[in-house]
Amino acid sequence: MDWFFYAVALPMAVLFLSSTVYAFCWSSQRGQLRAFEKGAESIFDDEEPIGKPTDFFPGKMPVAKTPVSKS
Amino acid sequence: MASLRNLAASLNPATSTDDVNRAESREIDASTKWPAIFLLGSAVVWLLIGTVFALISSFKMHSPEFLGDYEWLTFGRMRAAHLNAVVYGWSVNASFAVAFWLMARLSRSVLRHSGLLIVAAAFWNIGVTLGIGGILAGDSTSIEWLEMPLYATPLLFLAYALVGAWAVITFRFGKSQHIYVSQWYILAALFWFPWLYSVAEIMILLTPARGTVQALVNWWFAHNLIGLWFTSIGLGAIYYFLPKVLGKPIHSYYLAALGFWSLAIFYNWTGVSHLIGGPVPVWVQSAGIVASFMMIIPVFVTAINHHMTMLGNFDALKNSPTLRFIVFGAVAYTLTSLQGSLMAVRSWSEVTHFTHYTVAHAHWGMYAFFTMTMFGSIYYIMPRILLQEWPSAKLISLHFWATAFGVTLYVADLSIGGIIQGLLLNTPVLAHKFGLQEGTDPVPFLDTVKAALPYLKWRSYAGILITVGHVAFAINFVWMIVRSVEVTKTKLTLFCTPTDTEVAAR
Amino acid sequence: MNRAPLIFLSIFFALALSWTGIVLVNQISYGSLQPVYDENDGKAYPLQTPGLAARGKLVYQDLGCISCHSQQVRRLGYGSDIARGWGERQSVAHDYIREDRVLLGTMRTGPDLRNIGARQADHTWHYLHLYDPQITSAGSNMPPHRFLFETRKVIGQPSPKAIQDKLPEKYRPKAGYEIVPTERGESLVEYLLSLKDTYAYPETKNVYVEPAPEAGKEGEKK
Repeated sequence: MDWFFYAVALPMAVLFLSSTVYAFCWSSQRGQLRAFEKGAESIFDDEEPIGKPTDFFPGKMPVAKTPVSKS
Repeated sequence: MASLRNLAASLNPATSTDDVNRAESREIDASTKWPAIFLLGSAVVWLLIGTVFALISSFKMHSPEFLGDYEWLTFGRMRAAHLNAVVYGWSVNASFAVAFWLMARLSRSVLRHSGLLIVAAAFWNIGVTLGIGGILAGDSTSIEWLEMPLYATPLLFLAYALVGAWAVITFRFGKSQHIYVSQWYILAALFWFPWLYSVAEIMILLTPARGTVQALVNWWFAHNLIGLWFTSIGLGAIYYFLPKVLGKPIHSYYLAALGFWSLAIFYNWTGVSHLIGGPVPVWVQSAGIVASFMMIIPVFVTAINHHMTMLGNFDALKNSPTLRFIVFGAVAYTLTSLQGSLMAVRSWSEVTHFTHYTVAHAHWGMYAFFTMTMFGSIYYIMPRILLQEWPSAKLISLHFWATAFGVTLYVADLSIGGIIQGLLLNTPVLAHKFGLQEGTDPVPFLDTVKAALPYLKWRSYAGILITVGHVAFAINFVWMIVRSVEVTKTKLTLFCTPTDTEVAAR
Repeated sequence: MNRAPLIFLSIFFALALSWTGIVLVNQISYGSLQPVYDENDGKAYPLQTPGLAARGKLVYQDLGCISCHSQQVRRLGYGSDIARGWGERQSVAHDYIREDRVLLGTMRTGPDLRNIGARQADHTWHYLHLYDPQITSAGSNMPPHRFLFETRKVIGQPSPKAIQDKLPEKYRPKAGYEIVPTERGESLVEYLLSLKDTYAYPETKNVYVEPAPEAGKEGEKK
């Protein structure tokens, strides 16, 4: 299998690595990595902002957040 | 004709005129209601069926005479039926529901033509029913994780194509500016699954590859089904629900990206570790071992990320059912993955390969990680699509503690039993060193069976405990749906926005 | 949405790599192995599985025997497969090339069966063992396979295949009845008896040589 390693796997590995580096540079130049951490906040909005837990056991939802008493 | 045009319009965002604005999440949730209920409902049914198969196979392992006279209930068929019911019945149905619900929410886009999705889901379930019926009737292919006979496959393909297409369409219609990390996982999983499945079907069943190439394809498929489909959907769910429930963004988005890409690169090589020592080229085995080891990177990165997000919020575990299951799943993911890396080490594999230890590992991954994560997701999704709370907090608690304790007992028990079995079976010198046997020659085979028996019995007890949890879950689930039919009139809900409830109270 | 093409491309490449490495490369490198023609006895090895045994393999498959039984022997010094007498040599890729379905297996709740035909060549043993494993292997947790047998009234001559006389007392049917294997049972036993890899392929010649106990872990397989 030696020939295989040198003739095929090695060039492929080089190709793969360089395309990864290229893609990384490309995306970085297009500003896709700027403000990267902002992405983590994309699941929150005005309705359910950061700082508001959204899941509770039945009947355990804090009263302050939903001011109306349960019927 | 008009409906055809409608359909065409819904496939291409460019031709769509409506929904220029982002949809409200309540609207989105509402649009997923019926397909989600259908998929989750079938998932729960399969979960119960799979549990029954599991109990029967587990009992048979230590009491071979149990139901011993029925051919269709023999151990080999029960085990295959169990695997396929929980994998293709429960897990895939649940992951479909969770995946496209998340997809709709994260793309901020309502789900179109949900009727077709229900048809697809129906096809899937007919396919699985046919497949498992085939296994019981004696048409099993005996290919691990692909036991369903060929005639079930076209239905599964068709169903998958529709479900997959729908998730992608929902994504394309998205109004969100950003592709969130959960979407990476889900998109990747949707793309990877058909590739894996079709290659495996073609190279093993349709035009069988020669000799042990089949075995390589088999484990490339089976391990990637877990690693690239179930793990992706599970991690996607954790990356959404963990921050969402806490109301706190994920600790580091960079780590999330690193975790995703390292998983994508390394995981798909690890399947060969199931063939260590087998009649396949040694270099592939080595590649699998290296990849298994490299998996430590994504696993640690993900674990650190989840842990740092949880840090300072452990109190929330008391309040949120979703969080309990999700955190349990996340911890199990870390542990089972590290165990997987260890199992690929040649000298450890020498002991544990071919033993119950592997079974423990599989349940740690598919149950403690994936299934628990799905439970958590379902606890979050159902109230939002039915606009009402779960009927019973007690049943949720029972469900959590029974399954959490049950699966922990299961894994611990079978891991120890598997190691003892493996030492006696494979490495008599080591077994002698640990005082398990007198000489250093291999003990009679039946002694390895007898040594494992007590652990197999305890596995059944653990299974009963898990069953209790499943029944509690199913009762709560059915109760919720039944009640929702009545409740829609009275509007008893905590999921309205404050303004809605104020209006209602006035 | 702007990053979607890049993400998609990378997702594609990730799996393409292992598909190439694990599936494609191996299919090319040894996916067309040919049987070895032996000039001494004029046969091509591995031998074709005879018809009845081939049908028995289907029974083996549909009963899910693979859940507990593997069909692969690991090399000497790795595991105790050979020390247990499960084979004279390790299994090699050549052994499997005639098989439409390769049943390597990953579980040894029961013993490896790759050479069961060489190890246990007695029909009767297999019938008794299948009828109830406790007869031949007390303490085994293998399920009984009585559904592969038929208890029927003796009409005319007793069947030569009947096994009730060899069964222990408590299993015997009433007088005038006999227990015979069904066709499925017969073919399954035929299949089990056909399982033996005893031919020495060129690539297995060197693995017959017993290495020093702790010698080289790697590299005996080319």
